Amino acid sequence: MTRRRDAEALAEAEANSLEETLADRHVVVCTGSGGVGKTTTAAAIAMAAANRGRRTIVLTIDPARRLAQSLGLSSLDNTPRPVEGVEGLDAMMLDMKRTFDEVIERHADDPRHARKITSNRFYQQLSSTLAGTQEYMAMEKLYDLHTTGTYDCIVIDTPPTRNALDFLDAPKRLTDFLEGRFLKMFLAPGMAAGRVAGRAVGYGTGLFMRAASRITGVGVLGDLAEFFQSFEGMYAGFKARAQAVYKQLQSAESAFVVVTTAEDHALREARYFLQRLAQDGMPTAGLVVNRVTEPAVESVGRHQLHEAAAKLEGDSREPEQQAVAALLRLAAGDLAVSEREQRSLLAAMHGLDPRVLVRIPQRADDIHDLDGLRWVGARLAGVGD
Amino acid sequence: MERGVVELGELFDPRALLVTGKGGVGKSTVAAALAVAAVATGRRTCLVEVEGRQTMSRIFGTTPWGFSEQEFRPGLFGMSIDPEASLQEYLDLFYGAGRLSKYVVGSAAVEFATTAAPGIKDVLLIGKVKELERRRQPDGRFSYDLVVVDAPPTGRIVNFLQAPEATTELVGMGPIRQQAQSVVDMLLDPERIHLQLVTLLEEMPVEETVRGAAALRELGMTLGPVLVNRVRPPLGDADVAKALAELEADALRTHAATAGVSLDEASAEALIGRASRHLQRLDLEQRLRERLAAKVHLPTVELPFVASRTFGESEITELAELLEGAAR
Repeated sequence: MTRRRDAEALAEAEANSLEETLADRHVVVCTGSGGVGKTTTAAAIAMAAANRGRRTIVLTIDPARRLAQSLGLSSLDNTPRPVEGVEGLDAMMLDMKRTFDEVIERHADDPRHARKITSNRFYQQLSSTLAGTQEYMAMEKLYDLHTTGTYDCIVIDTPPTRNALDFLDAPKRLTDFLEGRFLKMFLAPGMAAGRVAGRAVGYGTGLFMRAASRITGVGVLGDLAEFFQSFEGMYAGFKARAQAVYKQLQSAESAFVVVTTAEDHALREARYFLQRLAQDGMPTAGLVVNRVTEPAVESVGRHQLHEAAAKLEGDSREPEQQAVAALLRLAAGDLAVSEREQRSLLAAMHGLDPRVLVRIPQRADDIHDLDGLRWVGARLAGVGD
Repeated sequence: MERGVVELGELFDPRALLVTGKGGVGKSTVAAALAVAAVATGRRTCLVEVEGRQTMSRIFGTTPWGFSEQEFRPGLFGMSIDPEASLQEYLDLFYGAGRLSKYVVGSAAVEFATTAAPGIKDVLLIGKVKELERRRQPDGRFSYDLVVVDAPPTGRIVNFLQAPEATTELVGMGPIRQQAQSVVDMLLDPERIHLQLVTLLEEMPVEETVRGAAALRELGMTLGPVLVNRVRPPLGDADVAKALAELEADALRTHAATAGVSLDEASAEALIGRASRHLQRLDLEQRLRERLAAKVHLPTVELPFVASRTFGESEITELAELLEGAAR
């Protein structure tokens, strides 16, 4: 019963056009687990928006080499580049470290202050390895692109995170980290770089610091103290921008597109993320399921196909008959896989409403050029071939 | 280049396998199959997941995995590493299970320390792998013949593996420093650890495998055979492939009808299209197979795409048999 209701909800969602839904959105965030085709989907959405006459930019994190080339991107350089052959479309690759440096340079008191921060050993670690930094920097870049007002539509391809939630949590985590209780411990009276091993501070902090330094060693804490002190005064700005972006993402001008493949593992992540978006009051636009197996024949059952193939294999050694047998077995395999995918999709969407559902069929080749993106774009608009 | 190439027959020889690959290539599936195959060769095996997603307990249909190992099949143990529990265990070992270690783990200090020096979490994770790898029974034999780790994806594995090294540079002293150093020793020992790259014959995964292999070699890691997942099986010999490429809808309908399947014109056309897409895909796979061979210089094991209605333990067993056969 519920299963039928779920199937009906999906059929309804599938009748809607994602392209229509996104037609007036200012910010589109594509999210999902790694390897599901997020970048391709983001690029196709951006291309469709540009084709509607909107000034559009697609911000990607790590596109496939050939796709990057066809978008005119040759390096990570944080500079919007026009995409040749698509009027009104720019593309840009995010360089996390450089974005972080730019943020520091823009918000520090003066160049000397900025240098003091960027040359800190801890900053160098933080800016390239702290989990969530990439997500945070994507947010900063989004804020940037949003405030310049150059674009009608900004499409973001989120980093492949271990956990799809990182993208929403990163800004909060980073700002909490930068201004929270850790900071207070470092800025406690008498606390200064070089005197961090627990002397001249209150008992609580002392014990805390002793415990912490047992784990990290003393040198790290010295760098940290210096980092936090030179960072003072910048936290408010970090926090304000993170909040502004968060609000922007919650507004009706934004849209989240959850991208997945038809595989169980990716679909579970998609479910988790759809739930989380709803919980955070974020506007979900739809679910894109990439590389779906579409059976060529649905009128004949799997068993019948296998039986027929076995008969042909037994009857003759003629290549043509063998070829037909192989093809019937391939079709039977497609039916089985399609059934598995459909079951996983239904289970993952149980009780959820993705609003719009787009299934992109598996292709013979990997998408790596503008024609391929147009092909995806047509399916996002609900047009097949 | 030939230095330290691991032959197929040596697949299960090291003390631990770190299984990695780009997201979406089926890394966890392959790690599970490797563990099952290792048990079939008579090795007491511990399968470890590090990202706490309970993927393995779902695959094997067991109760959720925790920080202590459970033997969920004869000779096959499973556990899920979590950094906080690893830290607690390590500090207990280092300081005794005293007040300090309780205080440390119970307080914000852990979060602080692990956030402050970002690699520490990774050091603790690999540190636990090392503990499993080194653990001995009272009679002196190793507790496990092989530890199989479902490691982070390729995009993060280099950072993950560099963490101990980076930590020894950043951290001058203390237990973490010692832990990091001993972990580095393990990672660089070809008799103790092999990295197992998992890929698909698709453009991005192959590119990432090529890049990943170079970066990991650069770090001094030993790479085991590349495990190529979800390979489409050929549809017969060259004559059959040729006949399939030339097959026309009418001939297809006639042959199918003699075998009792009646196909309408549209279905027959759709099937012909399917055949041509499959052949194209096989060509692409062949090109990528050659690229992999030319750029990575490692033996490979190919695992077929499993076209079944479900994907669970029996499919894992099927893949495990292939792995075991390849390593023989």
